[in-house]
Amino acid sequence: MNASSSEIQVTVAGAVIALGIAGGVGAILWWMLHPPSSYVQRIAAEAESELERMVGSLIVAFSPEIDSSHMMVLAARLARGERSELLAIYVIEVPYTLPPDAEMESEERAALDALGAAETIAQKSNVTIRTETIKARSTKQAVLDIAKREKANLIILGSYREGKYSGAPLGREIEEIAADAKCDVLIGVEGKHGTLLIDESGASSQSS
Amino acid sequence: MAAVKPRAKNPELRRAMKPWGSFSWGYSDVGADIFVGLGLVLGVAAGASNVAFLFAGVVYVCIGLAYTELAATYPVAGGGQYFVMRGLGDFFGFVAGWAVLLDFTIDVTLFAWSSVDYTSQLLPALVNSVNPWLHFLVVLSLVLGLCILNVVGVRESTAFNGAVSALDVISETCILCLGFLFAFRPHLLIHAMQLNWPSPYQLMLGTSLAIISFVGLESISQAAQETQRPASVIPRTSISLILTILIFALAYSNLALGLHPWHPITDAAGHPLQFWQIFPHNADNQGKAVALLSAQVPYYGAFAALYVPVLGAVLLLISSNSGVFGSSRIAYAMSTSNLLPSTFQRVHQKFRTPVISIVFFCAIAVLELIFAAIPGLFPSFEPFYGRFFRGEGGLGFLADLYAFGAATSYSFVFLGLISLRLTDPLSPRKFKIPLNIPLRFRGERVEFPVVGVIGFIGIFSILIFTLQTHPLGRLFGPSWLVLGVILYLIYRNHRRLPLLRSQRRDWRKAQVEILRRAGEFELMDEYTANVKASDARRAEGSVP
Repeated sequence: MNASSSEIQVTVAGAVIALGIAGGVGAILWWMLHPPSSYVQRIAAEAESELERMVGSLIVAFSPEIDSSHMMVLAARLARGERSELLAIYVIEVPYTLPPDAEMESEERAALDALGAAETIAQKSNVTIRTETIKARSTKQAVLDIAKREKANLIILGSYREGKYSGAPLGREIEEIAADAKCDVLIGVEGKHGTLLIDESGASSQSS
Repeated sequence: MAAVKPRAKNPELRRAMKPWGSFSWGYSDVGADIFVGLGLVLGVAAGASNVAFLFAGVVYVCIGLAYTELAATYPVAGGGQYFVMRGLGDFFGFVAGWAVLLDFTIDVTLFAWSSVDYTSQLLPALVNSVNPWLHFLVVLSLVLGLCILNVVGVRESTAFNGAVSALDVISETCILCLGFLFAFRPHLLIHAMQLNWPSPYQLMLGTSLAIISFVGLESISQAAQETQRPASVIPRTSISLILTILIFALAYSNLALGLHPWHPITDAAGHPLQFWQIFPHNADNQGKAVALLSAQVPYYGAFAALYVPVLGAVLLLISSNSGVFGSSRIAYAMSTSNLLPSTFQRVHQKFRTPVISIVFFCAIAVLELIFAAIPGLFPSFEPFYGRFFRGEGGLGFLADLYAFGAATSYSFVFLGLISLRLTDPLSPRKFKIPLNIPLRFRGERVEFPVVGVIGFIGIFSILIFTLQTHPLGRLFGPSWLVLGVILYLIYRNHRRLPLLRSQRRDWRKAQVEILRRAGEFELMDEYTANVKASDARRAEGSVP
């Protein structure tokens, strides 16, 4: 080989190909990195935007009666700060007229959406989350049993779905859980003019 | 009293992988191949090297599209073997998976070894012929280190792959862009193609060598179970990988043919040579084609001469890493399908990775490494290798098996794709290979994939060609399969499972569960609706 260098000559074809390679590779990678959002990701995004400042921990309980999705971001942020595990449960109450393991398609489908959104929120906060769908005769008893099994420090609950219309935002189930829980309970109730948090810890429960 | 279930004893593989992580797992496997393939193809196909890469690229695109569709439709760990098992049954699923396992364990050894060889360009102490024990110990350390990295967790090793892949994409883009901008002469390309067109045999040989540059795309589908929203993400990452690698391969081959060297090259008589003419009949140059090409890029070449050997070493290392990743994931999937013992599906409680699979196949990779290194470590063994392995070194033997395993498993995957299109038309396909023939099969509307047939013919031809031209591969490749089949039959007999027939499975229920676990709820709803509509049609009698 000769060590001397040749003169540089830029050809039109070479320049076009070079631009094509750079542009092509860049465009391909940009397209790859921006997939469309899924339904549960959109749910999660909405929940995050509404409840950005809320944080929570340990067990977040959902049921057809209890809407806790707005408390999920709060739970994820607190779990990340405390480096604690986060468990989201969805309790499906099975009437006594049905066997305990009866198929309840619409409720199970709703559980998938709720827990899928919860997982998405937790992943975005870089928090490990477990999810569980539970069929039980009583929502209250199911939540308390899970809290006992997990040795939970805090149960996070949303508000009674029909509370705005009934005038009782907590509902019977939430009040019973708060009354009988052996750990702290954090209840988030959406007020008429924004979000209002009612911390029932200590007031209605004993942590030991 | 509420029915509270105990905590799950066997946690699932965690979904930690985002789009770039998924892309980099595939890229880490395929991206390093061009470092090996370019020089070999230039040495054989001469002025038609770009055409050889184009032909191989067509087969590669078919393979890539098949994997993209299947991985997006069935996002589970295991990739090709799962698709084949689902389409063709347990036995063929095992054969395909066993062939890929051969490939991946060899991948671990071969690329770790080559990585150290590249490093030896800058650190002569690592040259195998000079210090075989040091070379061996460094390769062994790399294999063990990658094993630990993968045991600790996919997120950590994905971050490793992702960073190196990003570096390589940027680096290769720089080499190609600056090369085309400053050193490309179209008339040299035309001249090389017109005057140095190879014979049909050489072109075919070049094409079969060029396919080496495209092996490894299946890594993306094997990581499907750990990818977030796989049905949405995998089509994008797969197509991006196909196009990126194709652009690089075609660009490298065309640039090599049309390159005006920054430092003029002459032969022994002082006559000027074109750049590509330094490759035929020169194994040394063939082994470092990308380094030689990048060194001839004006200005950038001075830096590239130092940088590209390091880049090659790192790329080959992450390709080795993807071998660890791939083998453990396939074994995990095969185990869950009762094709391998259940030990292989145990997930570590803390790290949530299939630790036994990783350690077991790394151990096989270490055995292969020892086999490859013995002639260098103990010269007294050289006559034995010369007598029984036709004088080829251990790595040559492994390379033969590498080609055999890839071609075998890809052939089965195309058959699996065709079969699944016919037998499972109800599964929603978020990505579908273009060019299909609409048909009615067993009362359902199906789309027969023309590209699947083209791809099968292409890759099966390469398999036949591999068996014809590689005597060791012809002997040991089928031997590996026969050994696997014997072990499979023993295991199935022990578990009292059907030996050659498939286990009964509720694929409908399984598909719902797959999509649910993938978080693809919309597709799950679509599949459920398709199944109900199909059942309703059958109940009405409109379907026989």
